[in-house]
Amino acid sequence: MMACFCAVAARADVSVTASVDRNRVAFGESLTFTIAIQGTQSSAQPSVPAVDGLNFSGPSTQTTVSIVNGAMSQSLNLVYQITPTRLGEFTIPAVPVIVASKTYQTEPIKLMVTQGRVQEDLRQSLFAKVRLNSQQVYLGQTAPLTVVLFARANIPLKGVGAFTYEADGLGYRFLQNLKSGVNTINGEAFNIYLIEGAISPTRTGSLAFGPCAVKAQLAVQRHSSGGWPYGDSILDEMMGRVEVREVPVTIDPIPIEVLPLPEEGKPADFTGAVGQWNLEVTAKPTELAVGDPITLTMRISGSGNIDTVATPQLQGLDGFKTYDPTSKTTKDELSTTGERVFQQVLVPKSTEAKQLPQVRLSYFDPVAKAYKTAVQGPIHLAVKAGNGSSTAVLAAVTPVRPQEKLGRDIVYLKGDLGPVATMAWYDSAPTFWALNVLPIFSLLGLIAWKRRTDRLRGDVAYARRTRAAKNARKMLAETNSFDQVQHALQSYLGDLLNIPVSGITASIVDEQLVPLGLNGDLLTALKKCFEACDNARFAGVGNNEAEMRATANKVGELIDALEKIHL
Amino acid sequence: MRLKRFTYNFGCACVLSVAFAGAVVASPADELKAANQLYDAGKFSDAIAGYEKIEPKTATLFFNLGNACFREGQIGKAVLNFERARRLSPRDPDILANLKFAQQKLGVDELNAPTKAWQRFLRSAIDSRTPGEWRAFELTGIWLAALAIGLSLWLHRARTALMVVSVAAFAWSAAAAAALSYQAVGERAAPKAIILAKETAARFAPLPDATIHFKLGEGTAVSIYEDRGEWLYVERADGQQGWVKRDALARIAME
Repeated sequence: MMACFCAVAARADVSVTASVDRNRVAFGESLTFTIAIQGTQSSAQPSVPAVDGLNFSGPSTQTTVSIVNGAMSQSLNLVYQITPTRLGEFTIPAVPVIVASKTYQTEPIKLMVTQGRVQEDLRQSLFAKVRLNSQQVYLGQTAPLTVVLFARANIPLKGVGAFTYEADGLGYRFLQNLKSGVNTINGEAFNIYLIEGAISPTRTGSLAFGPCAVKAQLAVQRHSSGGWPYGDSILDEMMGRVEVREVPVTIDPIPIEVLPLPEEGKPADFTGAVGQWNLEVTAKPTELAVGDPITLTMRISGSGNIDTVATPQLQGLDGFKTYDPTSKTTKDELSTTGERVFQQVLVPKSTEAKQLPQVRLSYFDPVAKAYKTAVQGPIHLAVKAGNGSSTAVLAAVTPVRPQEKLGRDIVYLKGDLGPVATMAWYDSAPTFWALNVLPIFSLLGLIAWKRRTDRLRGDVAYARRTRAAKNARKMLAETNSFDQVQHALQSYLGDLLNIPVSGITASIVDEQLVPLGLNGDLLTALKKCFEACDNARFAGVGNNEAEMRATANKVGELIDALEKIHL
Repeated sequence: MRLKRFTYNFGCACVLSVAFAGAVVASPADELKAANQLYDAGKFSDAIAGYEKIEPKTATLFFNLGNACFREGQIGKAVLNFERARRLSPRDPDILANLKFAQQKLGVDELNAPTKAWQRFLRSAIDSRTPGEWRAFELTGIWLAALAIGLSLWLHRARTALMVVSVAAFAWSAAAAAALSYQAVGERAAPKAIILAKETAARFAPLPDATIHFKLGEGTAVSIYEDRGEWLYVERADGQQGWVKRDALARIAME
């Protein structure tokens, strides 16, 4: 049965009411606050006044239209979710709602948030803690700090939402990938989520981690009637009665004292390494010849910030040639543990180099709260005299041989007279110039010939005109009848004018050659040749060898004359 | 009997004529060998005379002559002959070594070289080939360019490649022609010479009492810009110019 409190403000046929689904609620639960606007479906979203201790979310809108007995009614509902953030009595003040430029006021609504059985149970069932080995840390130390979210087995913890914290001066970092598991407290199993992190203080003094808050994502029954609302049974999910709700879980600030590194007992060779470190030193080979390289490997591993560890200082290396060491570092994401391997090449200069000196690493142990020095070595060597086969390393360390001063003089005589050459070399030979000009002219000739060939191939008129005289003369030379004489003449004119040979007649001569500027004598001669051929062929007049030869010669002369005037 | 006498007389005549001819006309190789023997015997002046009369002149001959002059103490003349040898055989390491050594001995090796690095590089590149070699390069380039262009008229698919070849060949030919011109025109316009005298004054005017501009040491290379008989207007590699007496120097290119 929904508890209801209604306030009505009516103006004409528009009315605005505000209501809550219940006005008494246990801490940790949410309630619904609805502003119902009757008589319209459009309204500016009202501004809900802030109420200390109540968290409003929404609104979601619902519109309805109904027609009863021909009368239409419409309404608009604005639905808010209210989550109390503390216990006590609250009043939701009047909310101004503007509809059609008119302002309507809802009535204030009172709420009571009690610490009911539900909240008591939740506080016992869902909480967070900070795990820190010591609340006293040293500057330069990297200390793990883990936030753990606990949930009883009956709490349907689905995940972890936003994680917010304050850690000024502590250099806090945490891993985004959370770990989950089960932890037992007093024999009772809790589901846990671990937010793993570490602090690396950047300044000394009294600092604090927190407050911080973790949002636990819980499965909540949609329509709880005030009983235990949490649950995510398959049936509830199937019925759509479950939703995920984020519940903030807060942690109060934790004081952390950051101390400077003590001056007392600080070794002279201390270079700032803080942590708990192990030192391993190896050298290979230990039996070698002068000039052969030794690789000295110094492996430093342990807990702490490996970046604070510098190259161990080696003393007493006078008998060795040294090279700059190289290093390789591996560490975890939070820099709480790591390993750094230094490799240094040493080359014994003589057989007197009988051992590698001690390797020392001084560091501050924040757990023991004292400086410590890890020592390895010395490492004994068996160095024998070099055999001269050593490589460049040996050359680099052996004394430089004094520069031998070589004698200088002119090269001795040659016995062979050698090839004879002229000294007058600058006189250019005509052959040389001819050989220079020849390719240029050859190329020009080649280009001209290629162009002509291409034109003959592509331009039919040009090809016919070019070959006209040659072909006609050839035909005339082989002629033995007036038919062939006339054909030679027709062929020539056809090629010259680029028209079919069969269409060449005496009349064509007038039509085609006169416009081209052919003079009268040649025209007349051409016509006479045609006439002579026609007479001989069709009338038999003068159809004999002598006349034929004479006509052929005349045709040949005509061709020569036409070629000269370049029609 | 007569036949035997004739045969005997003819044989003797042939032997004597061959022997006489062999004694009078010695081959250049023999003469070189003889001069080398004089050199080996320490008779450098005789060796010089021996080398100088040998014809034709070759790079080896100038090289050996330069060596003999060097041993005789005529280092300027040695530089002159090593230069002549270098012109005939420009990449012979023995000739280059002896030329440099002789110039260093006289302290003129730096002075004879162009002052700027790019000039030294260019000069070295040009002098590394004989004119005959530059001619060959030039002709090869121009023929190759013409051939590539000619082929491109027919080989349309390879036209781009052939044009690249022709441009490269033409550039090669042009470079060779430029080097050849530098050698030929340079030598014709300003013949090179070597100072033979121990110290020669280069004067502001072709007069014995003209002011001395600078002095030229033995072995210094100069370019002759003007010839006025007894006096020559010369320029040193560093650009200093002056008049010197003709007898103080000798042209590298022989007349």
